[in-house]
Amino acid sequence: MEYYAGIDIGSTMTKAVILAEEIVASVIGPTGPEHRRLANKVMEEALRRAGLALESITYIISTGYGRINVPFADKQVTEISCHARGVGSLFPQARTVIDIGGQDSKAITIDANGRPTNFIMNDKCAAGSGRFIEVIADSLGVKLEEMGDISLRSTHPAKISNICTIWAQQEVAARLAEGVPVPDLVAGIHEALADRVARMAKRLKVEKEVVLTGGGAKNKGLLKALSEQLGCEILVPPEPLITGALGAALLGKDIVQKALKSGKRPETKKRTLEEAKLH
Amino acid sequence: MAEEQKKRKKRKTATKAAASIGPMVKESITSTIRAREEGKQKIAYTFIVCQHDEILRAMDIVPVWTENYSGICGAKRDAERFLQRAESLGFSRSLCTYALCGLGFDQWREELGEMPPDAPWGGQVRPDFMISSGQILCDPRSKWYQAAQQFMPDVPIYNIDLPYPLFDPKRDHREVWGYYHRYIVKELRGLVSFLEEQTGKKMDYDRLRELVDLGDRTWNLIHETYELRRAVPCPMGTGDAMNTMVPMCFMMGTQEAYDFYLDLNKELKEKIARGEGEVEEEKYRLLWGGGLPAWYALNDFNYFNSKGASFPAETTYRMVVPLYEMDIPETNDPIEHLAWRWLGYWTFWYEKARKRPGSEPDVERLIQYIEDYKIDGVVMHEAFSCRTWHVGLIWQLHQLAKIYKPIPVLVLGKEGKKEKKQRELPSLVLESDIIDITSYSEVDTRNKIDAFIETLESLRRARAA
Ligand code: SF4
Repeated sequence: MEYYAGIDIGSTMTKAVILAEEIVASVIGPTGPEHRRLANKVMEEALRRAGLALESITYIISTGYGRINVPFADKQVTEISCHARGVGSLFPQARTVIDIGGQDSKAITIDANGRPTNFIMNDKCAAGSGRFIEVIADSLGVKLEEMGDISLRSTHPAKISNICTIWAQQEVAARLAEGVPVPDLVAGIHEALADRVARMAKRLKVEKEVVLTGGGAKNKGLLKALSEQLGCEILVPPEPLITGALGAALLGKDIVQKALKSGKRPETKKRTLEEAKLH
Repeated sequence: MAEEQKKRKKRKTATKAAASIGPMVKESITSTIRAREEGKQKIAYTFIVCQHDEILRAMDIVPVWTENYSGICGAKRDAERFLQRAESLGFSRSLCTYALCGLGFDQWREELGEMPPDAPWGGQVRPDFMISSGQILCDPRSKWYQAAQQFMPDVPIYNIDLPYPLFDPKRDHREVWGYYHRYIVKELRGLVSFLEEQTGKKMDYDRLRELVDLGDRTWNLIHETYELRRAVPCPMGTGDAMNTMVPMCFMMGTQEAYDFYLDLNKELKEKIARGEGEVEEEKYRLLWGGGLPAWYALNDFNYFNSKGASFPAETTYRMVVPLYEMDIPETNDPIEHLAWRWLGYWTFWYEKARKRPGSEPDVERLIQYIEDYKIDGVVMHEAFSCRTWHVGLIWQLHQLAKIYKPIPVLVLGKEGKKEKKQRELPSLVLESDIIDITSYSEVDTRNKIDAFIETLESLRRARAA
């Protein structure tokens, strides 16, 4: 049996997937400032869950912002290709992938083979990412996981006009003082983020089916707001955080199979979990 | 700061011509300082792409291209202190950062009565007068010098207004361009009178005619030279073109500019004969489809190159077409000719755009380059602070996406037969600024470039399969 691993070091979460014919193990852990060390930890945990030793993994691909900090990876691939491949495998009918992560968001158009055909990223500003909801949740004293449900209780979503995270935070405080109910404020915040993400996605041609991934996909309020903005239903993978790592593992599998077809074994790194050095 | 400057390595260029630009720019700045000291020639602040280069040269005026100096500060990663100074004077960071940098610099120089400490390449000299140019969309071109007059109240401004008919899909612009022409001629003649007054000399029209002729020949030579970049592999990319724009934008109407392109032409032909490309193994051919570059991050072009990507063409700093292809009336009057050259430059793509419903001149230009230069993908740079060159870029990409779709389309093949072709065209939009380095993140930019290259690669493989 050949095993493939994908490890996705995002700005807030690190994800790992081990794959044979199907996913045999997956792990999600916070990235934190120690992410150079965490790659090892997450990989060890994934191996433990799969009951495998590192040497039994045929190919490892790392992705995400911290991808260069995974010394045991055989190859580094950007999250664009990995998300495309991961989503393409789960939803062959998908043509647009929107990923709302902790510190950025991106939209990718993909073809029937899960290959990216175009993409756009917002990495400049917290207002286009999950960080926006996080900051507001913090200032409202609400748990991040509850934000989506709270927003669904809104009857009149408040209009949040400031797109800057810091100013939006002040605006929320002011509206709260005016007596605007929390669910309306939270719904307004979700609409503001959805509006920003939709505007970014529309820079590409958004075609159906649309799939939402990343932490943002776990938030029902955001999902609803975004689907209204785009005017279509949005699909969500069973575990939206791991599509990048899954895609990485699948791309590894593609590489190995292609190499085997031509009678070669792909070149791989030494299989030891060493820590990345700070250069 | 100075330490960091010293440590940064010199950027690698593909051509010797591009590598020779640094000293050339330095000399052009030093020569303005010399001229100030000698006091024989008048010095003018002014802007590029105004069709007045030959007029200035014929009157022996020393032009100080203020956008250029800000660009130099940016390229040397030394603009921040001037930008901050302008901000502290009450100017907003969201204004054109060239203007901000220039204003910060001028205020400092005027306050000190000498150049600010460690001014890049000796500094920007005080002008005798300033020639601004009202141009569609670019407000700094008329407002910058008015603001600078706060610190230099004794320095007069002459403003030339240079309009051109806007594109109307239902109307032939030539119905109205005679009117525009008369207006621009008046503006340019007004400039000549102003310069005569300032210098106490009369314009020598024979000399002007000679210089305009030299300018025309340089214009056509630039076009012919840049067209050599159609070759596969491409001998010179946009990274180099951001250097070779210097004689085009700052030295038109000089023999030096003409000779520079003659050398570049020869060098490119030699490289093509040797099959030598900008990158060793050319895999992707990209179009720089719009936007001024981030001057402090020109190394990003080398990063593209390291991935096998070459840029055979760009829409920034280019002559559009040779003059003989422009449908502009002949005249012996050099001023009238300059006005026609201006109108021809801006309206060249109108006719093509009218023929394709929903199109736009800028989109036609992109399509032409995509086809002529066998382009695989488009890269644009949205520099937040310059609206003039950046407004509409995303819309242009949208229009392109209607033609270059991610599905097979039927196109007319060589023998008039219809062929199925895959013509999707991935695009990458980089976001930062011309000189404001605080808007730039190398990590994010390179991450985007990596993802773009992977997208191009997956398409290349899909096509090959
Ligand atoms: S706005 Fe753009 S065109 Fe105008 S002066 Fe600034 S950089 Fe130049």
